[in-house]
Amino acid sequence: MLGAFRSALTTPDLRRKILFTLGMVVLYRLGATIPSPGVSYPNVQKCFEQMQGGSQSVFSLLNLFSGGALLQLSVLSLGIMPYITASIIIQLLQVVIPRFEQLKKEGQSGQATLTQYTRYLTIALAVLQATGIVALAVRGQLFQGCTMEVIPDSSILNLVTIVVVMTAGASLLMWMGELITERGIGNGMSLLIFTSIAARIPSQGGNILNTKGGLVFTVVCVFGLAIIASVVFIEQAQRRIPVQYAKRMIGRRMYGGTSTYLPLKVNQAGVIPVIFGSSLLYLPQLLGQLAGNQNTWWARFIQTYIVSPSSWVHILLYMAMIIFFAYFYVSITFNPEERADEMKKFGGFIPGIRPGRPTAEYLSFVLSRITLPGALYLGIIAVLPNFFLGLTGGQGGGQQFPFGGTAVLIMVNVGLDTVKQVESQLTQRNYEGFLR
Amino acid sequence: MTLFLQIMLLVTSVLLVLLVLLHRAKGGGLSSLFGGGMQSSLAGSSVAEKNLDRMTFFVIALWVISIIGSGLLVSLSS
Repeated sequence: MLGAFRSALTTPDLRRKILFTLGMVVLYRLGATIPSPGVSYPNVQKCFEQMQGGSQSVFSLLNLFSGGALLQLSVLSLGIMPYITASIIIQLLQVVIPRFEQLKKEGQSGQATLTQYTRYLTIALAVLQATGIVALAVRGQLFQGCTMEVIPDSSILNLVTIVVVMTAGASLLMWMGELITERGIGNGMSLLIFTSIAARIPSQGGNILNTKGGLVFTVVCVFGLAIIASVVFIEQAQRRIPVQYAKRMIGRRMYGGTSTYLPLKVNQAGVIPVIFGSSLLYLPQLLGQLAGNQNTWWARFIQTYIVSPSSWVHILLYMAMIIFFAYFYVSITFNPEERADEMKKFGGFIPGIRPGRPTAEYLSFVLSRITLPGALYLGIIAVLPNFFLGLTGGQGGGQQFPFGGTAVLIMVNVGLDTVKQVESQLTQRNYEGFLR
Repeated sequence: MTLFLQIMLLVTSVLLVLLVLLHRAKGGGLSSLFGGGMQSSLAGSSVAEKNLDRMTFFVIALWVISIIGSGLLVSLSS
């Protein structure tokens, strides 16, 4: 275990990559603490402290993804939430708009075009979200029950400056993520999410320790570790469908003749269903907040049934959404017919099943059966913290609870992915060393 | 002074957004976001890309300086 670390750090190339990634993460955390110009930092801090003990915020999810920077109204307060939302929208549009579907089929260049669209959309969304947050802050709704003026000088020029700076911060973060992907290790965007979630753990843990005492804290920690272990277990689980390749001669070379397997992960969709579901669930709350009037019947309906994470309507709705999106996302990303065609083209077949249409049917049958436990597991892990709200003091809603739910899923997934990439880099180096 | 810094912030922010958008799109969107497939970017960066990087760094530096400057102004005046 430690030897792997040592060899990772002694490889010059890998060391440079790891250091670059760490440097970017440090810069991100630094930027997340710089307050936006025109925002009164002391007032924000006072309001923030009032919020800590108070009721849950609408922005728990947004705040989770920005690592607590949102409620500080910092320069990077939008985090990479605009990018995530934009990617989700583009992903969904691939089903709806034929041109996007074409682009997706085009391969590398089409994918690059789609990514470019995602980036444009990110900027647009960043402007929207920044405007929304600044408007809420000026009206005093961002921190409910706090009478301090968060933005003392509410002239138009000042507000516009804040919005523009926040947008620039979001685009800067997007670029940082891309730089990490390109020159560092792992996927930049997901690493940045990872950082912002991990950054909240100490403060949340300390909060539990202070308010509830040592026994509850220990129980929560043990529980969190158990959840992490189970998440790793299911993330790694896969069904291996055997595939036999026929021998064939091309020129004087012999190809194929091997028996391999087609791995189908139990949780093929990753954490994406959870993110989709929670993003959709927080939309009505956000709309209700923006509409302002809290006394219409539907605002009260939303407050009691959808916002409150411990109400059974919320839990059921969330669960149903996660299961639906798990199936939906798997059906987008994995096309059994395409896979069967590919296998047929290269002379492969699943023993006992004819190539072509029967193979596709078999694959989709196995996939739909294997996705069910995956989807249920995702739903249960995501909903679990909602039952323990009493333990954690009920602050900030279930999503913020760092030892369960969305946060753990994302952290474990990103961590596993990054470690795998480091490992593959290491094996690459070792082989090179052998050959030389 | 405050007005100057604000105008500076507006200009650099807009420039920063434009410069970032000018960069070549990296990464494959959401599919590679959370434990997606391995992608390897073999293509090195071109000279144009390097110059773009340099310009972006310059603009970022200006942006950060003006943000910190306006923050200092606020805390000094109050």
